[in-house]
Amino acid sequence: MNRKPYIQKQSATWWVKNPFYRFYMLREATSVPVLLYGLFLLWGLYCLSQGEAAFTLWLEKAGSPVSSFFHVIVLASALLHAYTWFQLTPKIMVLRFGKFRIPDLWVMIAHYLAFVLVSAIIIGLTLSQLAG
Amino acid sequence: MTTIIEQTIKVRVTRYRPEQDDKPWDQEFEVPFNQDSSVLEVLGYIKDNLEPSLSYRWSCRMAICGSCGFMVNGEPKLGCKTFIRDYVKAGEVHIASLNNFPIERDLVADISGFVEKLETIKPYIIREEEKPLEDGEYLQTPEQLEKFKQFSQCINCGLCYAACPQFGRNPEFLGPAALALAFRYNQDGRDEGNHERMPFLNSEEGVWSCTFVGYCSEVCPKNVDPAAAINQGKLASNIDYGLNLVGLAGGKK
Repeated sequence: MNRKPYIQKQSATWWVKNPFYRFYMLREATSVPVLLYGLFLLWGLYCLSQGEAAFTLWLEKAGSPVSSFFHVIVLASALLHAYTWFQLTPKIMVLRFGKFRIPDLWVMIAHYLAFVLVSAIIIGLTLSQLAG
Repeated sequence: MTTIIEQTIKVRVTRYRPEQDDKPWDQEFEVPFNQDSSVLEVLGYIKDNLEPSLSYRWSCRMAICGSCGFMVNGEPKLGCKTFIRDYVKAGEVHIASLNNFPIERDLVADISGFVEKLETIKPYIIREEEKPLEDGEYLQTPEQLEKFKQFSQCINCGLCYAACPQFGRNPEFLGPAALALAFRYNQDGRDEGNHERMPFLNSEEGVWSCTFVGYCSEVCPKNVDPAAAINQGKLASNIDYGLNLVGLAGGKK
């Protein structure tokens, strides 16, 4: 028997037409602004090590309109990433106590509560530092 | 007397005839349908009335044999479980062979690689020591069954492989159904073969090739949720790695 199967190759645009894939790519792309933000903070740390003048300059740059726009993008990325992650956690965290399986919604709510709690603590600490 | 107005819809079928064609091409048909016409029935109409040379695979017509997986307007679907009425708005139904698999002919995907993967992960109950027959069957409680029942509902239709971009990138990836099946046996209380399957899960082609796209679970016609099984498998793989570090698990093979 002479077989000649046609091998289907994945194109570079495999994700473009399907909304499910597009959202997946967006989810994965959120890592880029978060990486850039990490580098931005490291740069600030480096400036701090170079003395007050350098750090003040960095602070000025951090307060610029471009930087503010960048921060909004980073925040949106981080929030979207957190949302998608919290959506997926119940699939991985299967907690059983005897016959009882903790419902998916509870797992999700627990994550959101922890998120809100930690955020509140950090915002509280920051505000108290600014006030003091 | 009422007149029955017969509706028709444009159906575009991606053909590939290995004897004549070097690559797939589309053939269009105008096909009558009614409220309960499935994609599979429409293919039957085309084969019986318009194009007898069209090849496609099917058997049960009720979403249990897993034979009639096609790409329908770009989404992996079972032909028998997908209805033309849902595509009236789109104005056209495009039927093609499943993504990511070699095309044998027309709508027939070559799924032999997938079937080999299913066999690779030892999808059967493994015992350290077999009980003698007269001692009866291996028992399990409903709670034990609950841990893997969902993952045992797979009908091997291959839709999840057509949905998986990681499998599309790397055909060596064990893929959703095989990894879900491995996880199903690892979760089975009667099974003691965990250490024989973990090397497959742990490998580069195992759970770690998955990036949790999640589309496999979305397209699964039996709600197996392979993405959940694979990603719970990652947890199991991590634990296995840790145990191996301190020499407590079955060891790498």
